[in-house]
Amino acid sequence: MNSLGDNILMTKVKNGDLDKLGLLFERYKKPLFGFFYGMNKDTAVSEDLVQNVFFRILKYRYLFREEGEFRTWMFHIARNVSHDHFRKIKWKGKEDIENWKDRLSNNENRQEEYRHDDEMRLLSMAMDKLPEDRREILLLSKYQEKRYREIGEILGCTETAVKVKVFRALQELKEIYKQLEKHS
Amino acid sequence: MDKHEIDRLISRYNNEEATSAERAELERLLEAGVVSLDDVEVLRTLQSRISRMEVAGPSPAADDRFYKMLSAEKRADRRVDWKRFFSWPEKVANLRLASVMLVVGLVVGYLLRTPLMPANDKQINALSQQVSDLQEMMMLSLLEKGSATDRLKAVNLAEDMNDASRKVTNALLRTLNEDENINVRLAALEALKPYAADSNVRGALIRSIARQDSPLVQVALAELMVALREKSSVKEFQKIIESDKTPAEIKRQISESIKILI
Repeated sequence: MNSLGDNILMTKVKNGDLDKLGLLFERYKKPLFGFFYGMNKDTAVSEDLVQNVFFRILKYRYLFREEGEFRTWMFHIARNVSHDHFRKIKWKGKEDIENWKDRLSNNENRQEEYRHDDEMRLLSMAMDKLPEDRREILLLSKYQEKRYREIGEILGCTETAVKVKVFRALQELKEIYKQLEKHS
Repeated sequence: MDKHEIDRLISRYNNEEATSAERAELERLLEAGVVSLDDVEVLRTLQSRISRMEVAGPSPAADDRFYKMLSAEKRADRRVDWKRFFSWPEKVANLRLASVMLVVGLVVGYLLRTPLMPANDKQINALSQQVSDLQEMMMLSLLEKGSATDRLKAVNLAEDMNDASRKVTNALLRTLNEDENINVRLAALEALKPYAADSNVRGALIRSIARQDSPLVQVALAELMVALREKSSVKEFQKIIESDKTPAEIKRQISESIKILI
């Protein structure tokens, strides 16, 4: 449990000891990348978005409140960063051919990654087919280690509402998975 | 719904046998907090598998970019400190303290200020002098009036003066000695009390004792002499006691005063 350590580190960053952000980056670059990658399946974009999250943490470090939890605050920022990214894509109207090439290669990578585990490959595909909000809640649940109250803080809803959202997302994931299994 | 029914519902859900109504019921139980997500095995397993989905981390190039950004921010942080100084949200506490200090400074400054500028001081002094002169003039002219009420007003005016001039005290002594009205004389004596420390006034008061024919004024003078511990007045009081005109009660009171003075 790094929560206390996280808050102490972030408080130091807030007070001007910027080097401590390096420790937080090392601690959270992978979960954050996983969250973004789960949302957009694009390695380069996900790396950019991780960078963007830490940029915002630096820029708005004075807004960090010690009584809150750093990880919750960080995922709150991550969610905003992710939404901004999707909005930008929608505004652009279409994605570059290059991005599609990347995605295709990423899918190939995934097939390679899950070569020995059909179940995981199908689950990954099922996750990709989920609507954005359902995928997001399941990823938050994964990276926030099922702490539904904190997820509620990120989403701006109650703990109960989060549980219901997770239930519905899992329900839908289960259905998609079954269908994929049937056709594989 | 009892525990057995809930267990049966969960079991049907786990075995893919639940109807849409039963799924809605399960959702309702979840919302009510009767059932937790981890109680439903199929959901618990699914979540556990999602947790195990490994994703490779960002590339080393991403690390480089982050550390470059961090060092750039550190340089900027050192270089433009004033920028942080004006970033108000983090300075709210400082601003609050600064405003309190400003207010305290203003109050202390106000309290410790030099009373008035010298030029103003001169003007005020000149004005005060003019007011005093006017008061004095009015008092002296009222003392000349035939009405006892006017003369009393004049004496009261003298009492209000903070620092009466010799002219005023002489006028009051004259009133004490010569005014035909006892009340006016008593008021004059009262007005002269603050100036009794002045040797001229004190001498005139002692001399006045023998001139008084009113027992009330005599007793008032005797009390004042006792208060002033003026031993030289004893001779004057002795004359009053020896006089046949003095009432016995006044004699007794003055005798008491003489005893204290001796």
